[in-house]
Amino acid sequence: MNLKTFILKRSIQVVISFYVILSLLFFLLRLSPGDPYSKYIDSDMTQQEIELIKKQMGLDKHIFYQYLIYIRNLIKMDFGYSFHYGTHVWDVIKNKILNTILLFTTSVIVSALVGIFLGRIAAWRRNTSLDAGLTIASLVTHTIFLPWLGLLLIWIFGYKFELFPLSGIYTPEIWLDPECGFLRKALDVMHHMALPFLSLFLLHFGGYLLLMRNSMLGTLKEDYILTARAKGLREKDIINRHALPNAALPVVTSVGLSLAFSINGGALTETVFSWPGIGRELVMAVSHNDYPLAQAAFLLIAIVVLLANVLVDILYAFLDPRIRYE
Amino acid sequence: MSELGFEGKGPLREAWELFLESSIGKAGLIILSIFALMAIFSFVPPMIDPMYHPMKGVDPEITTSQPPSLRHWLGTDFMGRDILSQLLAGARVAFLVGITAALMSIILGTFLGMLAGYFGGVVDTLLMRTADVIMVLPTLLVILVLASLFKGLSIWSIVIIIALFRWPGVSRVIRAQTLSLKNRPFVEAAKALGASHLRIMMRHLLPNLVPLAFLYMTFRVTAAIVIEAALAFLGFGDPTTVSWGMMLQWVWKTGHMFKAPYWLLPPGICISLITLSFYMIGRAMEQVLDPRLRKDWEG
Repeated sequence: MNLKTFILKRSIQVVISFYVILSLLFFLLRLSPGDPYSKYIDSDMTQQEIELIKKQMGLDKHIFYQYLIYIRNLIKMDFGYSFHYGTHVWDVIKNKILNTILLFTTSVIVSALVGIFLGRIAAWRRNTSLDAGLTIASLVTHTIFLPWLGLLLIWIFGYKFELFPLSGIYTPEIWLDPECGFLRKALDVMHHMALPFLSLFLLHFGGYLLLMRNSMLGTLKEDYILTARAKGLREKDIINRHALPNAALPVVTSVGLSLAFSINGGALTETVFSWPGIGRELVMAVSHNDYPLAQAAFLLIAIVVLLANVLVDILYAFLDPRIRYE
Repeated sequence: MSELGFEGKGPLREAWELFLESSIGKAGLIILSIFALMAIFSFVPPMIDPMYHPMKGVDPEITTSQPPSLRHWLGTDFMGRDILSQLLAGARVAFLVGITAALMSIILGTFLGMLAGYFGGVVDTLLMRTADVIMVLPTLLVILVLASLFKGLSIWSIVIIIALFRWPGVSRVIRAQTLSLKNRPFVEAAKALGASHLRIMMRHLLPNLVPLAFLYMTFRVTAAIVIEAALAFLGFGDPTTVSWGMMLQWVWKTGHMFKAPYWLLPPGICISLITLSFYMIGRAMEQVLDPRLRKDWEG
């Protein structure tokens, strides 16, 4: 199987998986108590609006026909009306996508890189106090309850020392001021991002560190490392050039596998820090009983996770040619 | 046993001794026993005085959150309920949620993994593709969407949903093990004797799979505890139970997080520590079962 077929096969799998997920959502909505359309109709709506929505969704038609309409609407990116905002769901969501990507990708990538780097050191200096310290630190930060960590960070760095803002993504005064240039605005966003980034980073780097450490210890026992030693290569070269690239492979896979875990964490972090992203939007939609918005946010997250997994697989296949011929 | 030529310890005993050699495993076990004690003692405070009831007991003399005192060792929450009794009750809920959800997901994962491995073909493809999809979905957000569909979830439905979304990891491992077991001579012998599929699976395969399945138990427990706590923290927990996540939600939502460290700290420390202890026990167990990891771990 070459890389192209591999990508094609995985992409078809993504389409099928996504189709199954959205179909399940459709039928779950019908299984849930009460009239399914009550979840699309707000008490504030006029009779006319209700009729319009009923017609749009084919309420008067057979369930199979409703299903077709549901699929058609999703393809058209028409997720219905958000009660809470009173606008189209897509208009609410599209402004939040970038914020989530900014916070999420930076924290996952930085924590994976730091995890690989420190894991290498821990394995290299194994059974020293440095190794023990790193291992214990990762165990503790990896299992700390994330929303609580967020609250602690806000309390200590935001409230007590007033180093960072308590919540949000930007300071309105700076963004409304026409005098402020791009750099000033970017610095403002980074200032707001520091604490949410720190909590996601602390949660994740420990997991990658422990994985990298174990993987590195396994790799150092391989025959080709022995060969490299026998050739008289410097220890530094053996670690960095021979062991590191191979040992880092499982970490790449684990970034994909732990994505679901990271996204849960992302939603919690966004909520605690009032970071205007998709995860927080989903949480708020659920508490406002805004089902159309919740559904759309969830589907968006689901497609991103599925695609990200394919990307990680492709990256892995690219890094490790053996995987393609499996 | 000595008649058969086996001297000394059984495999379980040996595994236990190996486990105790690991300081990570021992530390985890000690922390966990403290929580077990807390869960047991959670029945005591309401017996002393009804005002110590974690949910309904209100100190008649207190109307706002109070710092620790002799009467309330850890202080009270915003309506005058005792924080220590809530903390003890939270330990009970954490064990209940963690262990039942983990047990259920492991039973489900073992059976589905065994079916997939034993029958292969269409059954295998269907089950494993389903596992793939479930595995990449963020469980917490799935439960959130379900909560919005079904308008509030009881603690037991939360447990069941967690179990339904946590079996794929176990089932993959069990499937692989089943694949290697099903071609062994003892299974072929059973087949030759005319044993049914059901009998082969229940009598010959299952006993060989159960120990492996239990290795995955501890990590499932941590996942379940954390998901329940997060759900409660976000305000979608069962309103009739006092869990640690619920306590954090109360501190946060009543705006006490900057004012009442005596209330903010204990539940968070408890959730983090119980997760840590199960995690440490899990890692120590991995070490026992995977000899390659043994020597390197702690030297």
